[in-house]
Amino acid sequence: MEKPKHTMRYREELISKENEMNKKIKDALADIVGENNLTDDLIDLVSYSYDGSQHRNRPMCAVWPETVEQIAELLVLANREHLPIIPRGAGTGLSGMAVAARGGVVLDLCRINQILDISIPDRLAVVQPGVVYADLENALAPHGFFFPPDPASGKVSTLGGNVATNAGGLKGAKYGTTRDYVLGLQVILPDGRIMRTGSKTMKSVSGYDLTRLFVGSEGTLGVITEITLKINPKPTATSTALATFEKLEDAGRAVSEMMHCGIIPSALEILGRHTILAINQNTDLNLPEVDAMILVETDGYTHAETDYQMKKVVDVFNENHTKEIKQAGSKNEATALWAARKSAYGVLARIKTHFVLEDVTVPMAHIADLLRGVESIAKRHELQIATFGHAGDGNLHPQILYDGYNPDEVERVEAACSDLFQLAVDLGGTLTGEHGIGLSKAAYMSMEHDPVAMDVMRALKQSFDPNNILNPGKMDLDTQGDV
Amino acid sequence: MEAKYDFARKYRKQILQCSKCGFCQAVCPVYGTTLRPALNARGKMLLLKEVMDGEIPLDDALIETLFQCTTCANCFENCPSSVNVPEIIKQVRKDMVHIGSCHPAFEGMNAVLKKQTNIYGEDVPEDFERVRNKKAEYVYFIGCVGSYREDETTMTTLDLLDRLKVDFTLINEVCCSGVLEDVGYRINKSLAEKNTDQILATDAKCVITGCPYCWRTFNNRPEYGKLKDSGIEILHITQFLQNVDLAVQTDQRVTYHDPCDLGRHCGLYEAPRTTIRKMAPNFVEMPHSHENALCCGAGGGVRGAFAKNSIAMARRRLIEAEAIDADIVLTDCNSCIHNLSNAKLRKQSFKICTTTELIHTLIKEQDVQET
Repeated sequence: MEKPKHTMRYREELISKENEMNKKIKDALADIVGENNLTDDLIDLVSYSYDGSQHRNRPMCAVWPETVEQIAELLVLANREHLPIIPRGAGTGLSGMAVAARGGVVLDLCRINQILDISIPDRLAVVQPGVVYADLENALAPHGFFFPPDPASGKVSTLGGNVATNAGGLKGAKYGTTRDYVLGLQVILPDGRIMRTGSKTMKSVSGYDLTRLFVGSEGTLGVITEITLKINPKPTATSTALATFEKLEDAGRAVSEMMHCGIIPSALEILGRHTILAINQNTDLNLPEVDAMILVETDGYTHAETDYQMKKVVDVFNENHTKEIKQAGSKNEATALWAARKSAYGVLARIKTHFVLEDVTVPMAHIADLLRGVESIAKRHELQIATFGHAGDGNLHPQILYDGYNPDEVERVEAACSDLFQLAVDLGGTLTGEHGIGLSKAAYMSMEHDPVAMDVMRALKQSFDPNNILNPGKMDLDTQGDV
Repeated sequence: MEAKYDFARKYRKQILQCSKCGFCQAVCPVYGTTLRPALNARGKMLLLKEVMDGEIPLDDALIETLFQCTTCANCFENCPSSVNVPEIIKQVRKDMVHIGSCHPAFEGMNAVLKKQTNIYGEDVPEDFERVRNKKAEYVYFIGCVGSYREDETTMTTLDLLDRLKVDFTLINEVCCSGVLEDVGYRINKSLAEKNTDQILATDAKCVITGCPYCWRTFNNRPEYGKLKDSGIEILHITQFLQNVDLAVQTDQRVTYHDPCDLGRHCGLYEAPRTTIRKMAPNFVEMPHSHENALCCGAGGGVRGAFAKNSIAMARRRLIEAEAIDADIVLTDCNSCIHNLSNAKLRKQSFKICTTTELIHTLIKEQDVQET
């Protein structure tokens, strides 16, 4: 039915008023960052609508600030106008954290990208948020140092993004995640005030740990503009082995018993049966079709040291009925053993039009329970779910493959995710080990966190950002009356 | 629903395969220069996905990104989902030309090649002081850049071939027109026929090309199929030289820039290095080489259409040559030579030339010493 004309006119007037307002705001933003550093071109708006997840929404515009002062001014303006600001790094996140859920302004920080200091005597590096992880790695290499978290997206992801999402990676078991290395920050609060947290010291118990509060805060509390990172001397030797298990239970037990053997591997990765089958169907790697494969790496400074650790690991595998163990005798052989694990994400990603890559994490003794639970969820919802991940820190990646153009399948994926989160929580685990809450898991926050914890989180958000301008809609932090 | 455009008909599955991981951002030369994600391969795939889903139109608003891709294929090389972005871009450019949305520089190139014999629209071919179109064992095919922009380089190559007593001839060549396929148009059949007929008339057993793009075109395009069908071998100059005993040496620090057309597109990495290592024991690789080599910024029509960014890409490449203290940067593509030379700053003291030029210089130096 055709709408009455006056309603149409009213709507048009509203839209034109909104456009006029947006124009004014854009002009004010451009006054701060310069005309060339603001865009509302369609090509930019489309590209800033996405990150690495299935979420998307158009921002009103995007800005490329060049100085910390410009960011402070932008926030003052946004706070006054109640304008959503979405800080963004490389946009590789997997849970919609950089998607402008309520429109607003994407704050692309990639052009604030200087390494400000590398101080080996102080064992630290000071960087701006737009520095790419790999660029810091390259800069540290001549000193024999590295920044350990090693996120899979490290070639592109920015350190600002790593800190804001508390990124983790393959080396989590031994080296922890980004959080364990952030000594201090410079942050701009929504009212434009500039704050320094932490210190340049290896230890500090001075006041509340504001640094940690910002690590993993997903851009909801302030804009991080400088980061002081602790760095490590880089181990120079590694040993690598790959073990196969006919039975999932044996693989699970091998992982938990590893913790008794007195060493912690630098990588302990697991591939489940469905991942192995998918890799075989789509590559010529020709893997043994078993319940589970475990890839393990030990590191140190001499081969005697890494071989000693590997022997301990191999003993544990043997005690748990491993079918076969391959040990790398050279760098090339190690690369070949890593091939299956490294190809998993890409191989799985291309099987169907869409996928969700989850990152539920459980206490390590429950790895086998989690894998088995995922299989029954897949069966229950008639979905293809392939699992791989970081057994060494209990963090698995069930990758759900589906056709996003089929509404029925989309619905089943949502139900499966909910079941998966419940399973992890029931096993004493968490919704997310390294990808963050963002939009994907916002609705499940209360599944993991009790009402008191949710209250405290919302109160913190309210106290830092009373107008809810910073990355609104994420982490289920909105309180009543928000925009 | 029947797809509206050929790119969707041919590449829908691949475009949807892009998992939006953004890993291409690490290697895309256009992103590296502009730090603008819309110009990265992922940005391009997202736009095409929205076009296929009918959410945005395919029109002029997309020219700035879809026509700004050097087709260097570094994204494809590093894509976990194996999305062949350069091929998709080449197809979508054809769709855009079809609906009348094209970058004016490319429209111009196509128009020029309808009337003239070379991409620059030059009327008088460079005189290389050689008899053309005679019977010979080899045909040396120069290419547009070598004929009209880097003619000094070409002259040294011809002198070298003479010195090596190669029985070769030039022809009254016209643009191979392969590049049109990259910028939204079709190869020009009449130009292809002119080249093929002239080559066949020389009774040559082999065509040596100075330009990697001509080499790819002669090898891969059906319009040039007659050459291979007649048993003619098609070699790039680097392939020809690798088997020649040159007996010259330099102790200068030499590095090599892999042209995308030889390297990532055809896997030709070792032939030039074999030649270079023989004469330059102080050979060093740049931080990015072989399949990871940075693009010089000239390809895919970007030099013509987006000159400023194209030069900025070449500058990024030269920073690597500076970082390894190279005395000489070699590359065997006249387009790369042209762009890198234009981008070189005065403070950068290294020399940029082709392998043949270096050989030629060394031989001349040897001659002087001997006399």
